[in-house]
Amino acid sequence: MVSTYFIHLLILIGIYGILAVSLQLAVGFGGFLNLGHIAYYGIGAYTFTLLSKHEINFWLCLLLAGIFSAFFGWLLAAAVRKLKGDYLALVTLGFSFVVYAVFQNWTWLTNGPLGISGITRPNFLGFSTNNNNIYFILVFFIFLISYFFIYRVVTSPFGKVVEAVRDDELSAKSLGKRTFKIKLITFSTSAFFAGVAGSLYASYITYIDPSSFTLAGIIPVILIVIIGGLGSFHGTLLATFFIILLPEPLRFMGFSSSIVGPARQIIYAIILLATLYYKPKGFYGKLDLE
Amino acid sequence: MYIAFYYGNMIFMNIFLQLLINSLIAGAIYSLIACGFSLIYSTNKFIHFAHGGVIIFSSYIFYTLFSLLHFEFYLSCILTVIFAGLFGYSINLIIYTPLRKKKASSLILLVAGLGVLILTESLSLIFWGADVKTINYIDNIQGLSIFGAIITPLQLIIIIFSLVFLIFFYLLMKKTRLGKAMRAVSDNANVAEIVGISTTKIYSKAFIIGSIVAGVASILISLEQNIESTLGTSLMIKGFTAAVIGGLGSVPGAILGAYFLGLTENFGIWYLPSGYKDAIAFILLFLFLLFRPNGILGIKYNS
Repeated sequence: MVSTYFIHLLILIGIYGILAVSLQLAVGFGGFLNLGHIAYYGIGAYTFTLLSKHEINFWLCLLLAGIFSAFFGWLLAAAVRKLKGDYLALVTLGFSFVVYAVFQNWTWLTNGPLGISGITRPNFLGFSTNNNNIYFILVFFIFLISYFFIYRVVTSPFGKVVEAVRDDELSAKSLGKRTFKIKLITFSTSAFFAGVAGSLYASYITYIDPSSFTLAGIIPVILIVIIGGLGSFHGTLLATFFIILLPEPLRFMGFSSSIVGPARQIIYAIILLATLYYKPKGFYGKLDLE
Repeated sequence: MYIAFYYGNMIFMNIFLQLLINSLIAGAIYSLIACGFSLIYSTNKFIHFAHGGVIIFSSYIFYTLFSLLHFEFYLSCILTVIFAGLFGYSINLIIYTPLRKKKASSLILLVAGLGVLILTESLSLIFWGADVKTINYIDNIQGLSIFGAIITPLQLIIIIFSLVFLIFFYLLMKKTRLGKAMRAVSDNANVAEIVGISTTKIYSKAFIIGSIVAGVASILISLEQNIESTLGTSLMIKGFTAAVIGGLGSVPGAILGAYFLGLTENFGIWYLPSGYKDAIAFILLFLFLLFRPNGILGIKYNS
């Protein structure tokens, strides 16, 4: 019993880990405060679900879900090229609300507020992942691939250019770097992995509805990125454990479930405010949120 | 055939008028949110994300005072507005001012505001529960019918009251010393400081006045719609959208933008399912930020 619960938490940490690392790529390296990252998570989850209903191979679904999310990431990044700072943050948030409205209202495709149930879990290395232990290995495996891929990207020469564009776009441009294209690539890569995380979430829970993809859902992820510190993946990783595990004791305190949800959000909000005041760079942060 | 055409036209007219009335009511409410928001944004220079939280929390306070504690209507209104002003003032004092002292960027302040919004949302969920609250005030009076479209006296009062209130707000900004000082700070805080205007005081006064206007909006919202804890974000974005459409920092612009937003939203759902209402506001915001960042009137705004 205890170990089942423990495995459940580890799976959540794996999924949130991918999501947080992908957001870190956009915010810490790309330099756009993306408040609407949950939209890509949702697009990934819905794409995966709709494709998997057609008996398509798990890995292909995962890949296509990522690519579809990346496509929307590319679209948004291309549309907001002129905006920055506050306005950019608000437009990305607005994007997530538009996507939410589509999930909610495009009923024949998404089944509206009722959501889609009965999502099948894949076989992994010949084992059925209906067993959570096996599913955990699958998530852990995909997490490792995503983490090292993104880590490799940012430590490569290309990653240095991404950071240069974030710090001083004009200089990077004057050195002949195509800054707009670099931003597009960074943002779509970030959206791709958010889509992958969303797919894993959908196949883990086996049920999705629009309410999982609202602003409240992205708060812990934004918090993870800020606490871990902008520009630090190790910080993000540690913060993922911290933020996912922290509100768990609330479950055992005997509160009713209508209190536990808001109480968790209150804890997150207080930690967020305290971090911004006492450690605005987070624990391993290399730069300020600007 | 002629009769069918005639009735078709009548139905068209009815829908048209009803949507027009709905737009005006939405505009009346949005214009209050937009003016308060615009005042805070233009003086403080960051997005006060918790503005929506102030509105929703005040709505719940009004609900508690009027519907649960059975206070007199006008007393409840006055207390709600005072509460809203104090609430905005304390958010600035406790959260934003310390951060600003540490030279926090406008994005940090925005994220802090997001934290406060989540905090107020969750607190109101715990205190008042997740169910939708309605206030039944003068509900038994029959609505006036104009060509089949219905407008209740309450809605008429909302529209007129909002306009009159905003005229006073406009005069406050245009004619009084305080209003001029605020406009000076929003124009150029450094120069204002040299002339002897205390910017910190103006920041906090902008929060008080902006939140008082939000408090008035919260009363109108609770009378006209249902109160839900999750409305805060979308109301904040609508206020921001209206302010951007009209040109940030201008009171007449914000009013114009609010009615424009109300019209677009309500006529938009003639073709789309009504669930897309919020999405329409966002798309409008997006289009304006991209193509007309200075608003319809094209007022140049120094940032």
